[in-house]
Amino acid sequence: MVIGHKNIILISSLILLFTFTISFASQDIAIRAGSIITISDNPIENGIILIKNGKIEALGENVVLPADVRLIDANDNFVMPGLIDAQSRLFVIDRELNESRTIAPELNILDAIDPFIKEYREVLAQGVTAVCVAPGSRSLIGGRSAVLKLNGSKNVDRMVLKADATVKAAVGVSAGNSSSSLARLEHYSSIREALIAAKLYMQRKEKADREMAEYNRKKAEYKKKEGEKEPEKKEKPKRPAKFRTNPGSDVLVRILRKEIPLQVEAHRVTDIINVLRLADEFGFTLILDKCTEGYLIADEIARRKVPVIVGPVSTSFVDIPRLEYRNHNMSNAAILSKKGVKTALGVSGRDGASSKFITLAAAMAAANGMDKDAALRAITLTPAELLGVADRIGSLQVGKDADLVILNGPPLDIRSRVEMVMIEGKVVFDRKSQR
Amino acid sequence: MKKTKLFSVLILLSMSCYMVRAADAPQNLAIRAGRIWTVTDGVIKDGVIIIKNGKIQAVRKKPDVPEGMKLLDFSDRDVMPGLIDAHCHIGLSLDIYSEIDETVLAVTPDMQIIDAFNPLADDVKKALSSGVTTVLLAPGNKNPVAGQTAVVKLYGKTTRDRVLKRSGGVKFSLRDDALMSDRRPTSRAGLLALIREELNNAKTHKDDKPDLRIEVLKSVVDANFPAYISAYTVDEIASALTVIDEYGLNAVLIGAEEGDEIAQLIAKQNIPVILSPVLLFSRDKDLKRVVKMADSGIKIAFSSTSPRTPLSDLRTSAITAVKYGLDKEAALKSLTINAAEILGVAKRVGSIQRGKDADLVIISGDPLQPTSTVEMVIINGNIVYQRQKI
Repeated sequence: MVIGHKNIILISSLILLFTFTISFASQDIAIRAGSIITISDNPIENGIILIKNGKIEALGENVVLPADVRLIDANDNFVMPGLIDAQSRLFVIDRELNESRTIAPELNILDAIDPFIKEYREVLAQGVTAVCVAPGSRSLIGGRSAVLKLNGSKNVDRMVLKADATVKAAVGVSAGNSSSSLARLEHYSSIREALIAAKLYMQRKEKADREMAEYNRKKAEYKKKEGEKEPEKKEKPKRPAKFRTNPGSDVLVRILRKEIPLQVEAHRVTDIINVLRLADEFGFTLILDKCTEGYLIADEIARRKVPVIVGPVSTSFVDIPRLEYRNHNMSNAAILSKKGVKTALGVSGRDGASSKFITLAAAMAAANGMDKDAALRAITLTPAELLGVADRIGSLQVGKDADLVILNGPPLDIRSRVEMVMIEGKVVFDRKSQR
Repeated sequence: MKKTKLFSVLILLSMSCYMVRAADAPQNLAIRAGRIWTVTDGVIKDGVIIIKNGKIQAVRKKPDVPEGMKLLDFSDRDVMPGLIDAHCHIGLSLDIYSEIDETVLAVTPDMQIIDAFNPLADDVKKALSSGVTTVLLAPGNKNPVAGQTAVVKLYGKTTRDRVLKRSGGVKFSLRDDALMSDRRPTSRAGLLALIREELNNAKTHKDDKPDLRIEVLKSVVDANFPAYISAYTVDEIASALTVIDEYGLNAVLIGAEEGDEIAQLIAKQNIPVILSPVLLFSRDKDLKRVVKMADSGIKIAFSSTSPRTPLSDLRTSAITAVKYGLDKEAALKSLTINAAEILGVAKRVGSIQRGKDADLVIISGDPLQPTSTVEMVIINGNIVYQRQKI
């Protein structure tokens, strides 16, 4: 048999592709580190991290290295998981962050992502490997957030670690820096109304689904009987009216079914209490966002086991401090975490470039009373857990993505420099090649 | 039961008496410290600072303390001079960004900002925990000739204790904010023309007709009364340098965010710069501007421009600048002695030196580490802030 020209090209290119894939994928990497800050477990001194196919294959003091491994020597350095900013604005153009409608859960932040924004390189250079980007706080329910990796891809789909990570909502955020109790009441009741409507929608939809299932069953039965020798006189089942779906309501239903957490930005005590009440009434998974005055009711938040993303740690991260920050306290995160609240830290900065200061935010939280280990966890594992991506990122554990940072000193020390950043085993930043 | 109650009441009473005394009487005090960052005389390990009548009487390199003297033992802590915020609007406004500008008139050199200062304002009390002990109060940026600045301490029983300078200079604004559609000036060229007009008037003024406004400006053109000129962009700074040169002003630049572009010129004219706060959303290239200015030999000082950023982030500005390449010693000086010199109060504050006011900050570690916490603040020998445990 003669193989055609075309086939030869096809086969050889397949072989070529295969070898390429193999050579890229199978190059194992080992990092020999002075100190491995795993976050999930105790730190490991003088350990090795073995990376295979972009995942952490093994780590510890005694790891047997394969023969053809590429060894990265970080003997004097610290290795920690890639940092996560859970309150980032990276990849979104500022004025595109907000919608004018008040209830818009069907919106998806992924439709506004611009992968070509250059600031991401500055953020990456500080060790941030993933960000959660959510819609702004102008809408009461502003849409769905997403967790993105800073892997340099210009294809949004390849940046996405998790779409629909949360649905962003906001209560009591002042428009035009003026505040009124009435407006805040209105925010609360509008969100409540939307959730009540969604509940009814869900019930109608469930009923319609049941009717449709019933119809399908009867139809099948009818057809089966039609095929039989002696057909029983039976009425042909009637198809129920088609249920009209609504994309916004569908998203709210997923919140009610606890498939997506509702991330609610609330600053003042009254607003936080209102949000807790909403969660009691509708039973959704709640993440409190910003939570500026949370320190005043930390016990209450802890009792309900509601997690919090605190930010900004200092109002220097925003431009002009707004009214909501009137009782801003730099010990907020410290108090919440000491009271047992699962506390993540976000930068919550004015623009995308702010995310590069996530370590500074953690250091400032530590200066204001937060345990240093808790502060580190608050910018790695805790946000990963809150955003539902802890199976992939947030700590150095076997089986997780090899997203990590190599530093020449302890992470919260201002003198420490990021030497190298890796995402899924690929070097995405190397300080040596920057000069 | 009753006895114990009475006893505890007595204890409480004596404690409160003691606390009042501790806060009010300018007492004699010795502070032992693991490290003393004197700023002007290096770092002293395991030293002692002796305070008498609110002044620093001695800084010793040995940890012994004179007998009978009250001792604060901070052997495992650091002590630095009280920080100086070289430009802010603290205690001036009831709400965010109001009441710091006189928006009807464009030229108000007679306005004294000290008259608007409320020493009991919430933001002043809150700022005591920041480690800042002295601030320059200034009007805003909306008046071309804005009014007189003041240098005050954040604590003091009497005005005499608190106010270092009722009037420390005149603030000018070359910023776009000074342009308004409903009064002169409405353009950048008009702004400069107005300032020249006012300075010329003052220069040629005869003493026969007293005029407070003109007299203040006369002292700026004649007697070297400092001009604090707010200018951010390169063109604003260039305009400022021209005016300074034309009239031979004793000037300080405020802001100068793009000052690195003409750093050589600023350095050549020997004009110090009070920096805008290092904002935590700046691009890397903007963060490096501060470093370039300092490296060009310009004397710099940090500011919070509160309420733009809180006074507690004055130190954060310096820390961030260090991260982007500023020399550590220069950063510490810019928070203390440089600011004191620029504001003309270096005889009283800005370093830990014999004879200066006992304005001290006890901090848990290196002042230029973000993880270090201000634990105690002392002004004129009085403990004015003590950190509570969470």
